[in-house]
Amino acid sequence: MLKVLFKGLNRWLGVFTLIFSAFFAFYAIPNWVYSPSNIRNIVLSPTFWPYVLAGILAFSGVALIITKQTPSTDQDTPAPAIGGMRPYMRLVILAIIMGSTMYLLPRLGMVWTTMLTFVATAFFFGTRYPKAAVVSAILVPLILYAFFAHVAGVAIPQGNFVRLP
Amino acid sequence: MSFYDSILAGISLVGNVDAFLSLFIGIVVGVIGGAIPGLSATMAVALTLPFTFPMQPINGILLLLGVYKGGIFGGSIPAILIKTPGTPASSATILDGYPLAEKGQAGKALGMALWASCTADVVSNLSLILFAGWLASFALNFGPPEFFALIFFSLTIIAGVSGDSLLRGTLSAVAGLILATVGLDLVYGTNRFTFGDSNLMGGLNFIAVLIGLFAIPEVIAMAWDPTGHLGKARSLGKSWVTFREYKDSFFSIIRGSIIGVILGSIPGIGAAPSAFLSYSEARRTSKNKENFGKGEIEGVAAAEAGNNGVAGATLIPLLALGVPGDVITAIIIGAFMIHGLQPGPMMFVLNVDIIYGLFIGLIVSSVMLFAVGSVAIRAFRYVADVPKRILMPAVLVLCIYGVFAVNNNMFDVGVMFAMGWLGYLMVRTRIPAAPFLIAFILGPLLEDNFRQSMLMSGGDVSVFVRGPITWAFWTFSIIALFAIYKSIRNAKTA
Repeated sequence: MLKVLFKGLNRWLGVFTLIFSAFFAFYAIPNWVYSPSNIRNIVLSPTFWPYVLAGILAFSGVALIITKQTPSTDQDTPAPAIGGMRPYMRLVILAIIMGSTMYLLPRLGMVWTTMLTFVATAFFFGTRYPKAAVVSAILVPLILYAFFAHVAGVAIPQGNFVRLP
Repeated sequence: MSFYDSILAGISLVGNVDAFLSLFIGIVVGVIGGAIPGLSATMAVALTLPFTFPMQPINGILLLLGVYKGGIFGGSIPAILIKTPGTPASSATILDGYPLAEKGQAGKALGMALWASCTADVVSNLSLILFAGWLASFALNFGPPEFFALIFFSLTIIAGVSGDSLLRGTLSAVAGLILATVGLDLVYGTNRFTFGDSNLMGGLNFIAVLIGLFAIPEVIAMAWDPTGHLGKARSLGKSWVTFREYKDSFFSIIRGSIIGVILGSIPGIGAAPSAFLSYSEARRTSKNKENFGKGEIEGVAAAEAGNNGVAGATLIPLLALGVPGDVITAIIIGAFMIHGLQPGPMMFVLNVDIIYGLFIGLIVSSVMLFAVGSVAIRAFRYVADVPKRILMPAVLVLCIYGVFAVNNNMFDVGVMFAMGWLGYLMVRTRIPAAPFLIAFILGPLLEDNFRQSMLMSGGDVSVFVRGPITWAFWTFSIIALFAIYKSIRNAKTA
């Protein structure tokens, strides 16, 4: 699947870039950039610079489409360790871990959430040292908490349950 | 303030244990970070950045410079031992370093890498001290049109960090420029792409974007291929570099250092091209040229001198003009800003003590690098034993704390995750992340100076060619664009 995609990588990127530049110029800028109505010189308008960028983006898109499609050497592209959909499933699981982290951070607090995140990712990655992973999962967030909360003076979120000194 | 007073002011700032300890810790962290394949000097600097927040500005910046210098050297350790450069800058070191390791002379190769790195580091630091002040005094004559022309020229950096496709590099840069427009408008204060969210009014947090782009994709790549990193460290062997071998390679080391200084002081070229140019020059002129690529100690010396010669020189445009010379100095600019400092010509007027403190610290860093590097060569096998499947979760947790600590804002953590996925998508589609970051930093400066120039001139575009400085930068830009065009044509015909 990836090989098929990379065969015309620049073309795909070019098409996507053109679509995005059109969306940017015709929808995003008119709707999401606010410009005072009394501006006499167009180049001073808050919309001018985004429009310039939309133009460059469109130009890049066209250039990507018409340029020679370089074949992939696959040297820079990480090859999946195990074929099929399993690598993609792993990406989905990691995204869920990250999403859960964001959800739990204000509720459980940063220390407890990151402990869980550490354990979850270490075991998800298939660590061969489960005891070391658990010990690290406890120590690393605690050490970081101690540094940021007591040395740097950062108000690390404590959550609604167990609070640390 | 006289030169003598400036030095005394610098000494008074860094003449304490904290400053040198920061530098020392930075070098240790950098060597370890550079020596772990997949972590890289860039990521090590990015991950260290949050730890500088509570520090004195000079100590924080010295810590980061230590990481930078240590990281560039540290990258040579896995390049020689396991044929995997810890940083892209060490790619040329593989050519002769690994064959030497295959012959059981890894210790010799690493020793030469250290000697050459430290020598080049001294040359590079001296160049910084000699030229940065001169360039800054010249830059004091700059107004918005001159800065606009300079930043436009600096954006040609993107060609140097675009990898195998300039177009994809340009795409990445434009994406960075677009992201930099988020927030309140610089002149009128109206909303741009804020969607009514107050978190977006100040723009996206630079640290969140940076860590998201450079550190999180490594964690995601680990999910994609959890076993792809497995490799074995080899023994150092019993032979060590001799003074005679260092003396024989000395000319190549000095030449490589000078190449590094010249290429490093031009924004965007970076350490890897410098290392390869130094290596190819050494091979062209060496009496052992047929031995290059098969385990020639002079090849290791030239490659390492080339990449370490860049480290001090990239700070010349950073300190003198406020323009990052490469990705790492782009991150270091973030540290300056967080501590309320604006690198550029005015810093040589307003913060001369910090400038001279940095110069003193940099000179000391070469000595420290030698000491730390000597120990690191022997200790690497223990460092390499840190299981990556524990290291990466630790990196993830560190990123969360570090990004949150910038503004005490959970929103930034979300931005970091989002940028991480974007960064990973860019890796997979072979869009380089470095142009994105550089454009994200330079974008607001470019727009700000453009609009200030237009306000000054009442909309007259001739303000951009108002004097010899602007002409010079436009000429440099045209030359750079022509060189890029020529290199693309050469690559196509090759």
